[in-house]
Amino acid sequence: MKTIRRMFRIHRIFLVQELKRMMEYKGDFVVGIIGFLLIQLSNLLFLWIIFSQIPDLEGWSISEIIFIYGLSLIPKGIDHFFFDNLWSIGYFIVRKGDFDKYLTRPVNTLFHVLVEKIQIDALGELIMGIVLVCSSVAGLQVEWDAFRIIGMILIIPFITLIFTGIKTITAAIAFWTKRSGNVIYMFYMFNDFAKYPATIYSRWVQNIITYIIPFALTSYFPALFILKGENPLFNLGMPVLASLVLMTAGILVWNKGLKAYESAGS
Amino acid sequence: MNTELKMITVDKLRKEFKKTVKEPGLKGSIKSLFRPKTEKVIAVQDISFEVGQGEILGFIGPNGAGKSTVIKMLTGILTPTAGSCTINGKNPTQNRRSYVKEIGVVFGQRTQLWWDLPLRETYSVLKEIYEVPEDSYKKRMDFLTEVLELDRFITSPVRTLSLGQRMRADIAASLLHSPKVLFLDEPTIGLDVVVKENIRRAIEHINRQEQTTVILTTHDLADIEQLSKRIVMIDKGVKVFDGTIASLKQQYGQIREMSFEADSPKAAAVLNYAEHFGLSEDNFSVEAEGKSVKVRFNSAAVPVSEMLSYTLGKISVSDISVKDADIEEIIRRLYEQGVEE
Repeated sequence: MKTIRRMFRIHRIFLVQELKRMMEYKGDFVVGIIGFLLIQLSNLLFLWIIFSQIPDLEGWSISEIIFIYGLSLIPKGIDHFFFDNLWSIGYFIVRKGDFDKYLTRPVNTLFHVLVEKIQIDALGELIMGIVLVCSSVAGLQVEWDAFRIIGMILIIPFITLIFTGIKTITAAIAFWTKRSGNVIYMFYMFNDFAKYPATIYSRWVQNIITYIIPFALTSYFPALFILKGENPLFNLGMPVLASLVLMTAGILVWNKGLKAYESAGS
Repeated sequence: MNTELKMITVDKLRKEFKKTVKEPGLKGSIKSLFRPKTEKVIAVQDISFEVGQGEILGFIGPNGAGKSTVIKMLTGILTPTAGSCTINGKNPTQNRRSYVKEIGVVFGQRTQLWWDLPLRETYSVLKEIYEVPEDSYKKRMDFLTEVLELDRFITSPVRTLSLGQRMRADIAASLLHSPKVLFLDEPTIGLDVVVKENIRRAIEHINRQEQTTVILTTHDLADIEQLSKRIVMIDKGVKVFDGTIASLKQQYGQIREMSFEADSPKAAAVLNYAEHFGLSEDNFSVEAEGKSVKVRFNSAAVPVSEMLSYTLGKISVSDISVKDADIEEIIRRLYEQGVEE
């Protein structure tokens, strides 16, 4: 209990530090916000054009497709917002020996890396995801009972951890190879498959994105339950299970990697 | 200083790295991508030594000798291939988190400060990370601000600090949680004489006041001479010397330097020490620049008196002097020649 309280405290302190850091360069911050809003606006416009051309797809109505698309952006955005620093592990922190710093501090290294930075750009995905989900609701024929609403809210932390787990495992490879940014990228990009109903893909792609790099679990399967009330045990249980397995694997690979870490000459 | 109490015990510490061997050029790189050839490099080879509580140990060796690798094993950054190190009864790689609370680390080439924020922010975050209680934090900051003279720049963003200021700030950061052992890896690198002097004085002060054990690596031997009584020297991953500076001088310090001004450059050419005394290059070197000549020789091979009488008998000189080689000179010779066992 004490450890968890301490983790929250440290997380909060790092967050505040990050916000201060962003405010330190005011001009850049303001321009960043303006650019960010423009990009989000154009993204929404682009999606609206695409979706207005699709009446339905493989038995999915346009509102259902928008819901799945929107839901997939929410965990992606949350992970991107809080845990973006893993990319730096893959690209340069390990390679340049800057990982030394984490090892000399009395904080769990993975936790330290995860909470050290935030990525404001991620709010774009998050906001867009929420906008899409909300705007799809009017066109859906769903009875929003408590079970559905609570299920949808509770599943979000777990599907977020699917993203974080996959990034942790692939980032930790850098401890052996010095650089694994492209490995993270390759696996991470599979999340593009999560934006649409999995049934539109061939059988083997479906198997990959369900059981191997399980991004289908981040949106399509929870949506099966939320939209159609199908099999909550599998459709919600699998994402929970997968997130726990991936995160545990991530922690194990990471800890093993620490022993292989070679630093860099100074 | 209480050297009876061992703070650090290093026992047959060893680190091997696997290195991929590549042929030069793009072709070599592509080849190694498909058929990598690796070879084992022994960076640190079974090194043992001890450091007493409150001692300042100078840890020296030429570039690439394995100093940083040893320091990184002692600080828990690298996992040793074999052997062990125990610091205050703890093993750095087991229970790392409780271990690092007892040590402070400064790598002169890196910084742990928050680059974009005022310096003070770094300390307030480190306070949380190391769980320093509020009242001892205040006292500690007052102490460090005074000893390391931080007050002039503690509100400036770290990116605006000069190298000397940044180094002092980094040392303060490593001491915030009152560590029992302080590892300083080249803390005076790239600094001017005055700043170096300030930093040495601060280290000395903290060592004396708090009995902090210090391991100091440096290429500036003045750091060592001023701060530590004892040095450990390593070369190519092997320990080559372990003892006091006085004993180093005794053991290797029979080198003398004779310098004089000859009447003319031609006159100096008459002298041929090597032939006259039958000296080998190990024992003897000469540097002549116009009329001024410097002769370094091993006084065990040729007594100083004979050297002088030979020189004075051959030519007439002005301003002749003979002095002991300083530690810098001894180390230079050791680095160049290695140590014969």
